[in-house]
Amino acid sequence: MTERYDIVVIGAGHNGLTAATLLAEKGRRVLVVEARDTVGGLAAGAEFHPGYRHAGILDDTRLVRPWVVDELGLDRFGLRRREPTDLLVPETGGQGLVLATTVKGSEGLSANDAESLAGYQAFLDRIAPGFAGLLDRPPIDLVDTGAGDLLRLGLAGLRLRRLGRHDLMEFLRVVPMPVADWLGEWFASDLLKAALAGPAIYSTYSGPRSPGTNANLLFSAARSEDPVAGGAPALIGAIERAARARGVEIRTGVAVTRLVIEAGRVRGIELAGGECVATGSVAASCDPRQLFLDLLPPAALALSLEAELLSFRTRGTAAKVHLALSGYPQFSSRPGRLFEQVRTGEALDELERAFDAAKYRRFSERPVLDIRFPSIETPELAPDGHHVASILVSFAPYELAGGWTESAREGLYRAVLAVLDEYAPGIERLIVGREVLTPADLAERYRLSQGHLFHGEHALDQLLIRPTPQCSKYATPLAGLYLCGSGSHPGGGLTCAPGALAAQAIRSNDM
Amino acid sequence: MTAIRKSGRYDAVIVGGGHNGLVCAAYLARAGRKVLVLERRHVLGGAAVTEELYPGFQFSVCSYVVSLFRPSIIRELELARHGLEIIPLETAFTPRLGDRGLCRWSDPARTRREISRFSPRDAEIHPEFSLAMTKMARYVRNLIDSPAPDPTSWNPVELWRLLRLGRELQRQGSDGVAMHLRLLTMSAVDFLDRWFESEVLKAPMSVSGIIGTFLGVRSPGTAYVLLHHYMGEIDGAFRSWGYSKGGTGGVSLACARAAESFGAEIRTESAVERIRVAAGRATGVVLANGDEIEAGTIVSSCDPRLTFLGLVGSKHLDGDFVRQIERYKLRGSSGKVNLAVDRLPRFPGREGSDFLRGDIAIAPGIDYLERAYDQAKYGEFSERPYINAVIPSIMDPSVAPPGQHVISMFVQYAPYDIKEGADNWPAKREAFGDAVVDTLAEYCPGLKESILYRQVLTPWDMEQEFGLSEGNIFHGELSLEQLLFQRPAAGWARYRTPIRNLWMCGSGTHPGGGLMGAPGQLAAQAMLNSNGKPSSG
Repeated sequence: MTERYDIVVIGAGHNGLTAATLLAEKGRRVLVVEARDTVGGLAAGAEFHPGYRHAGILDDTRLVRPWVVDELGLDRFGLRRREPTDLLVPETGGQGLVLATTVKGSEGLSANDAESLAGYQAFLDRIAPGFAGLLDRPPIDLVDTGAGDLLRLGLAGLRLRRLGRHDLMEFLRVVPMPVADWLGEWFASDLLKAALAGPAIYSTYSGPRSPGTNANLLFSAARSEDPVAGGAPALIGAIERAARARGVEIRTGVAVTRLVIEAGRVRGIELAGGECVATGSVAASCDPRQLFLDLLPPAALALSLEAELLSFRTRGTAAKVHLALSGYPQFSSRPGRLFEQVRTGEALDELERAFDAAKYRRFSERPVLDIRFPSIETPELAPDGHHVASILVSFAPYELAGGWTESAREGLYRAVLAVLDEYAPGIERLIVGREVLTPADLAERYRLSQGHLFHGEHALDQLLIRPTPQCSKYATPLAGLYLCGSGSHPGGGLTCAPGALAAQAIRSNDM
Repeated sequence: MTAIRKSGRYDAVIVGGGHNGLVCAAYLARAGRKVLVLERRHVLGGAAVTEELYPGFQFSVCSYVVSLFRPSIIRELELARHGLEIIPLETAFTPRLGDRGLCRWSDPARTRREISRFSPRDAEIHPEFSLAMTKMARYVRNLIDSPAPDPTSWNPVELWRLLRLGRELQRQGSDGVAMHLRLLTMSAVDFLDRWFESEVLKAPMSVSGIIGTFLGVRSPGTAYVLLHHYMGEIDGAFRSWGYSKGGTGGVSLACARAAESFGAEIRTESAVERIRVAAGRATGVVLANGDEIEAGTIVSSCDPRLTFLGLVGSKHLDGDFVRQIERYKLRGSSGKVNLAVDRLPRFPGREGSDFLRGDIAIAPGIDYLERAYDQAKYGEFSERPYINAVIPSIMDPSVAPPGQHVISMFVQYAPYDIKEGADNWPAKREAFGDAVVDTLAEYCPGLKESILYRQVLTPWDMEQEFGLSEGNIFHGELSLEQLLFQRPAAGWARYRTPIRNLWMCGSGTHPGGGLMGAPGQLAAQAMLNSNGKPSSG
């Protein structure tokens, strides 16, 4: 085997492509191998019904970090941001809420809640730089703290202290709280609380009453930017162009079957079909458990690391439903208007009950839905006048009692439809096609442990140590093997931060 | 009871004669201060009290086991000389329907045999787990035995303390640090899942994380309290983890006698109606009967809400502080059911009473516990609750007539805010009692026929009878955001209050609730350290 590549990146998702692009400097030869036939991973759009495409399994592009965009130079490759759109929070028998980026632009808020919302957003704006600072830098290793970690810990402490004593105390207080308690301190409206709490519990194994969920709320609120024009596929397109411009080679439709390890060092990868590619370094953007437990030869890992990986929690709790629609549905709370985003859940208890089901290995009879209509911005996704709905469904556990049989899948679809029909009566008549992806489907199609969209739960312990103490700084105990995906700091979602931070770590370690 | 006084004026008046108030009084009196303790009820002890509610039966009405009573207090106040005797818990029994259940014994070999019936692998790992947890507990003990560190202060002493805490943590090695981070943030179940496979073992172990909280065993943040069990071990099981002879009131009485031996004065049936504040300074207390008592320092052992919004009044406090106290969470979640029975309860599959010389947990599975929690979330008491029962009369025959027994049951969940409204608890009290007795009786046939007397305490009753706001037995939830430097409010975790000369010494301060005595002890030390006088003035 002759080494044709300095580094091979496994997986052409947003993080894999980001890492590859940033590593392909100064003539370094980088190969990206992707098991699926297209690039993009969870951010890739796909045709799910003849003539109808969705715009990614993960579709919240507001999380993409501006500094990563700068480092990749994505502006030069066609990435544009656009104005955020309004969110409809429908209500049975009422007008619901319309949440805009400004309190002024929002509709349906009581005077008190409007005032509180302004104060709430002001607080988030104050703490955002400090919080984002923690997430935009390499993780501070709290377990094996070296001198560098202590320095960074000190600096992070100083940055946080700049908040002032009052805000710092408040920051420390609210991070571990249940999102329900914190929102309860601010607002009176059940509808508003539920709408704000949603993103804190999607894809988690928690309800709004679970401590630590507030960290997820701050996590997304502190990093929210304008969305990317064209959504996740446009993001992927831009990174792919950037990668190719830097000479990155991308091969799709080739699955890695095994890593070649000799004397504790990566020597290459073996592809389905038997081809071997020699390389001294591998950066894996795939889910860490899949990497370590499926791709490594037996006994390559210490038992303790294997045990740690097995305890890394990846219980998938979200399903995805895509609908091909012959028209935009009428939401009775705000008839005649088109909203790109609609979020159901009328009270925190409704969200909590939806989670309760997951604990007993059932899907929610009344799931909470985060619905996007990407075809409003990108009409090409559907035939003229038609639309696409992309729905994140909570909660649907991977480990369903009785398993994800065809009738279970149908039952989940019926439950989703019942909620939709309540807010947009008659929507069923518009449905011309559908795709229901249970966590089991997501696990299979995207090679995700237990179908977890973030490669591992976002819970405080797994945000502090991600994925294991030994692998929390992108390097692994095997020389030349690195992690660069959502299973690493700072976690899942379309941030591109794990890929970028991993590239930094690899450059400073290895090359 | 009353010591002779030269003058009517006291250095310190302590509001509330619970264990923390009495510990605080004893330390202040020991340092030569003139101290008066005022207790509203006719008996001392607050929630740590023994009462004969049925002839011949001594009930530990609320608090029923001594959890982490600080050994330094026992030593320094010579509580043994004042009658304190703690009988260690020897067993932890989890009955199961149609099976002889699981009993964990103080003898590790016996425990191992019991666990291996359900999982040989768990039996193998159990001692290793205990060892790891004991190591963790040793570190946490530092936090309990000293005032809360303040991460927002620039004071070099504080910074040094933080640094030292960090270094001591590091000394535990990377496994230890990782375990600490996880204990702080994980759910009890997720944490135990890392170690064990058998639910028969995990369910009763997980419940220590939810006692007195409004959380379920799967709620993040519940793992930390698992440590408390192991803290008892390092303090020495014979002193800090067990029953108090004669009932839990014995702890309070020993503290009271110690306080009196140092010259403190204690009055019962003396309800404090308000704390008198003039120009931002506490000057005395006004009793329900109209009497006024002046003192240089007022110390409240009541919970923060009762202290500030009740006894002081928000008009004396700034708005930001009032908001902090208003949002302080006190959602009581537990009840007590105490029984007098005419014979020893019988658990099928086990003979005798050896396996009952400790606590009995009705915790047959994780889902069972979660279902109990789910009901509480939506405003109902659990129809099939988690029960922790003890039968102290087995080891301490002095609390019941010969052959007869007392069963003391801690029950979760009984949310203060039931959906009908807390004031409707009296109408539901007996239904709640029935649910508890029915639950235990499933495991313990013949129980119902043996009952001579039953006392049911709902969170509403605890508020009414013991002055615990919302019936919270810990004077406030032990959730991460209400611990350490945030208990009970940011910037007020060192026993001082925004009112000059008013201090706190109850479970609503660091290190929190439970029969520890630490808040009372640390508060007294803080007062004595402030210019050598118990007055902050």
